[in-house]
Amino acid sequence: MLPAAGEPAAGDSWGLLACLCTVLWHLPAVPALNRTGDPGPGPSIQKTYDLTRYLEHQLRSLAGTYLNYLGPPFNEPDFNPPRLGAETLPRATVNLDVWRSLNDKLRLTQNYEAYSHLLCYLRGLNRQAATAELRRSLAHFCTSLQGLLGSIAGVMAALGYPLPQPLPGTEPTWAPGPAHSDFLQKMDDFWLLKELQTWLWRSAKDFNRLKKKMQPPAAAVTLPLEAHGF
Amino acid sequence: GQDPLFIFPKDKLVEEGSNVTICYVSKSHQNNISCYLEGVRMQGEQLDPNVSVFNLNHVAFIRETGTNIYCKPGQGDGIKGTVLFVSKVLQEPKDFSCETQDFMTLNCTWDPGSDTGLLKQLSQSYTLFESFSGKKTLCKPKSWCLWQVAPESQDMYNFTLTAENYLRKRSVHLLFNLTHRVHPMAPFNILFKNVSATSATMTWKVHSIGKYYTLLCQVELYGEGKVTQHNVSVKVDGAHLFSGLEPDTEYLAQVRCANGDYFWKWSEWTHQNFTTAEAAPSEAPDVWRNVKTVQGRCVVTLFWKPLSKPQAHGKILFYNIVIEYLDRTSVSEVLSIPAPASGTELPLNQCSSQIRITASNSVGTSPASVLVVSREPGNEEVEEERVKGTEDGFPLSWNPQPRHVTGYLVEWCEQPRDPPCDLQWKNLGPNVTSTVVSSDAFRPGVRYNFRIYGISTERVPYLLARKTGYSQELAPSDNPQVVMTNLTSHSFTLSWKNYSTESQTSFIQGYHVYLKSKAGRCHSGSEKAVLSDDVVCCKYKIDNPEQKTFVVENLQPESFYEFLVTPYTSVGEGPHDAFAKVTTPDEYSPTLIRILLPTVFCILLIMITCYLKSQWMKEKCYPDIPDPYKSSVLSLIKSKENPHLTIMNIKDCVPDSIEVLNKQEGTRKSLTETESTKPTYLYLLPTEKRYSSPGPCICFENFTYNQAASDSASCGHVPVPPKAPPSQLGLLTSPENLLKALEKNYMNSLGEIPAGETSLNYVSQLASPMSGDMSNLPTNPPEPALCSEYKMQMAIPLGLASPPSSGSSSLSSITLLDEGEHY
Repeated sequence: MLPAAGEPAAGDSWGLLACLCTVLWHLPAVPALNRTGDPGPGPSIQKTYDLTRYLEHQLRSLAGTYLNYLGPPFNEPDFNPPRLGAETLPRATVNLDVWRSLNDKLRLTQNYEAYSHLLCYLRGLNRQAATAELRRSLAHFCTSLQGLLGSIAGVMAALGYPLPQPLPGTEPTWAPGPAHSDFLQKMDDFWLLKELQTWLWRSAKDFNRLKKKMQPPAAAVTLPLEAHGF
Repeated sequence: GQDPLFIFPKDKLVEEGSNVTICYVSKSHQNNISCYLEGVRMQGEQLDPNVSVFNLNHVAFIRETGTNIYCKPGQGDGIKGTVLFVSKVLQEPKDFSCETQDFMTLNCTWDPGSDTGLLKQLSQSYTLFESFSGKKTLCKPKSWCLWQVAPESQDMYNFTLTAENYLRKRSVHLLFNLTHRVHPMAPFNILFKNVSATSATMTWKVHSIGKYYTLLCQVELYGEGKVTQHNVSVKVDGAHLFSGLEPDTEYLAQVRCANGDYFWKWSEWTHQNFTTAEAAPSEAPDVWRNVKTVQGRCVVTLFWKPLSKPQAHGKILFYNIVIEYLDRTSVSEVLSIPAPASGTELPLNQCSSQIRITASNSVGTSPASVLVVSREPGNEEVEEERVKGTEDGFPLSWNPQPRHVTGYLVEWCEQPRDPPCDLQWKNLGPNVTSTVVSSDAFRPGVRYNFRIYGISTERVPYLLARKTGYSQELAPSDNPQVVMTNLTSHSFTLSWKNYSTESQTSFIQGYHVYLKSKAGRCHSGSEKAVLSDDVVCCKYKIDNPEQKTFVVENLQPESFYEFLVTPYTSVGEGPHDAFAKVTTPDEYSPTLIRILLPTVFCILLIMITCYLKSQWMKEKCYPDIPDPYKSSVLSLIKSKENPHLTIMNIKDCVPDSIEVLNKQEGTRKSLTETESTKPTYLYLLPTEKRYSSPGPCICFENFTYNQAASDSASCGHVPVPPKAPPSQLGLLTSPENLLKALEKNYMNSLGEIPAGETSLNYVSQLASPMSGDMSNLPTNPPEPALCSEYKMQMAIPLGLASPPSSGSSSLSSITLLDEGEHY
C-alpha cells in the first residue's frame, strides 16, 4: 500500500512553495518541454503535475479552516476516525504493486473519475457552509479542482484515450439521509477532505511517473516529492 | 442495530442557556467509555452498567455547526457522537421606524440584533403586518422592509413587526400618521446667479411632496473659516441671496430640506462651490526701502510685502511706482512692476523724493503707500545696544519720541550672513515703544541686527536705535587663526588680527591664552588652569575683545611650549584643541648671529676684493721680479733717514762682480759725493788676472731665482766650501755657534780690512718693505760699516770655485746674515 498522508508540519507549506518555485524555475530548462513543433503530451502532463501540487497546498489551508468550522475533535491533529459513512468516496490508497502495474490509460481514468466524484461532493459541502468566507474559499477550490479535471482530460485526449462516461443513475449526491446524523455528516466531510488530500498526493506521483515515461531518459528530471497530509 | 454504543439526544436544537442532559447506552458492559464535550472529557453519572448521563447546564452558543459531543470506548477506534445545536436567543427588533420620501412607499427599518442562524436552523425571519388595512408582507432583508402606501390616502398606519425562528417569536408595534413621517429627498440643481464681489444668489430645486405641503430648507455658507445659516421656505424652487461676501473668495453653499408642516427629518445635504468676483485691493502695500549712494547718486531699493488675500481682493497683476522729486526740478517717474515681484531697485535723479506705491488687480488699484527719501541719512550715529533673544523672539524697546511720529518701524535681516539678507520689517503704531520680533527663521548662534526707525509726519524715517543680539548664544566653535611673531628666547607675540568678533556665534567677551609648558610654573598675569584632559597650563585673560595681539613673556630659552588662543563668551569658550607648538631659541644665538654675520660678511668682502685685486696685490706685496723702484721700503728709507740713498742701476753693474763701495765712516757724505761715480768692483771670477789662483771665490746664490732653496733651511745651502775647516763647519750647525762664528768672522774681517776705509754694502734683492728692518738699518749698522752690494746673475759651479780662504770669511758671514736677519 502507498503510505498514507502524514501529519502536517510547520515548515511544510514553505517547503512546498520552494519546491514549486524550483519546478517553475526549471520548466524552461527541461528539453522535453522545449521542443518545437508538436510538443506532445509532455507539457500538459507537467502542467497537470504542477496543478496537483498547487491544489495540494491550497487544500491544506482550506481543510484547516473547514475542520475548525466543524469543531473538535475533527480539527484535532491526531483525529483518525473509522471510515464508516464515506464508503462512496473514491479511495486513493491502492496496493503499491497494483499502482505500478497500472497502464497509462487506467491510471488517468482513475484520476479523472476520482476527481469527478470528489468535485461533486465538494460542491455539496459548499452549499451547506454557513459562513460566507468559507463558501468563497470552497468555491475557489472547486474552480481549481475543475481546472485539474480539465487538465487530466487534456492529457488523456493528447494520449488518445477516451474520457470515461458516467453511468446513468450513479451521479453521486451529498444529501444527508434521514438516518444520517449531523455527527456522521461531519465525519463524512472530514473524510472527503482527507481523501481529496490523498488523491492530490497520489496524482502528483501518477503524473510524475507519466512525465518520466514521456521524456527521454537522459533528459529526465527528478522532482523531489514528499508525502503531505493534514 | 449492530452499533455497540448509542448517544442521545440526536442532533438536538436548544436555545442558549438551556440545560441539556446527554445519555449514552452501551450494549456491552464496558466501563471505560469516555465522553467529550468539544474535546473536553465530561464527568457523568452512571445510571446502570450500560447507561450513563451527563448534565449540561446553561449551554452556550459556540458555532453555527453545533457543539460536538462524542464518546469512544477504551479499546478500538469506534467513535460515536452527536451534535448539540445551541441557538442564540432571538431578540426583539429595535429602533423600528417607518417613513416616506414621496407618499408612495414607506420604508420601515429596524435593528435585527444577533443572528440566530445555525447549520440546523435558518436565521430568524421578519414579517410586517398593518392592522388597519390587514395587509401582511414577509421581509426578506433582515433589517428593512418596503410597504406600498395605499392609494386611497390612508393617513394612519399601525404596523406590527414580528421576528420568528424555530424556537421563538418576537413582535414590535408602530402607529403613526403618514404626513408626520415625511423624509424629503435631497434638493438638486443648485445654481448661483448674479455673483458679484460681495453677493451671490443661490437657487435650487426640491422633489415635490404634494401641493399641500411646504418644505423648510436650511442653507449654510462656508467661507473664510466662517459658517452662516439661513432657513428658507420652499414650495417648488428655492432661492437665497448671500450678501456681505468677501471678493475673490471661494465659498461652499449647501442646502437641505424637511417637511415644513410636520418636521420629521432633514434630507441629505446638497452642496456646491462658488467664487465671488474680484474687487480693487483695499489696503496699500506694506513698503520699506533701503537707500544707498552709488557714485554720488541715490539708489533706493524698495521692498514690499504681498497683500494678503482679504486685502488683495483678487490676483495682483502689477505694482505701480511713482517717483516725485521734492525740489520739482525733475519730472516724476512712473514705473510698473509685474507681480509677483516683491521689490525693485531704483536709481534716483535726486535723493529728495517721494515714492508712491500701489498694487493693481484686474479691477482696480489699491490706496498708495508713501515713502519719502531724503539725503540726510538721519541719526546714523546711534550707538548699538545689545539685546538678549528669548524663545518668543527679540524684545525690543525704545524711548518715546518727543516729536510727533506717525509710527515706528523695526527692520532686520533674517539671513544676516553674507550675501543674502532677506530684509524684514515691522510697522508699529505711534504709541508703541516696545515690541517682540519673532520669526521661524531665527537660528541660534546667528547675530541679528535690528534698526528701529521713527516715521515722521512727513513720512521721513529716522533711525532711533540699533540693537543686536542672538536668539540663543552658542559657544564659539572655532578659535582664531593665530600668527606667532617676534620669537625670542624669552617671549613671543601672538596675533589674530583677522578674527572678526562680529560674525561669531555669541558676543565675544575676550580671549583666553593658554600656555602649556613642561615647567608648569605660571608667571604673574596668568593663572593655572586645568583643561578637560587634566592637563595643567597657564591661562592669560584678555578682557578686551578688540585686543587681538598678546605677548607671551617670561619664557625659558630652549624650551618647548604649546599655546592656544580661544575666545570666551557668556556661554563658554572655544574648543581646547589644536594647541600650536613653539620652541624658544638659545639665549646667545641671536647675539652670536649678530656678530657672526657681519664678520663673515666682511671677510667675504675682503676675500672678494683680494681676489678681484689680486694682480695689484701681488705686484704690491710680492711681485715676481721685485722692483726696487716700486718697493715702498725705498721710499721710506729715502724720506725718513737717507734721502740720498740711491738704487743701483742694473745697467751700471758688471755681471758677476761685486761692487764695493768704500766709504769713510766719518766722511760718509763726502765719499758718497766724490766717489760714487767710480765704484770699485771686486771681481770674483778667477778669469781676472789680478787675482791669480788660489784666489778667493765667493759665490752668492740669488734665492729669488731658486725658490726651493730659499724655502729650505739656511745652513745646508750655505755655499760652504767642501774644504772648510771642520771647526768652522761644526760651529755652523747651531744658532748659538753661528752667532759666535759670525762675531768671530766679523772681527776677523775687521782685522783684515782697514777700519773705516772700506764697507761692503749689500742690498737684498728680496728686500721687503719691512718697516722694522728699515728702522734698524741705520741704527744698527755693523761697525765698521763695511758696505757691499752684490748682484749675482748666474750660478757658478762649485768645481770652478776655489776653496774659501780665510780672507773671504767676512763675505761669507754677510751671506749668513742675509739669510738669518734679512739684512
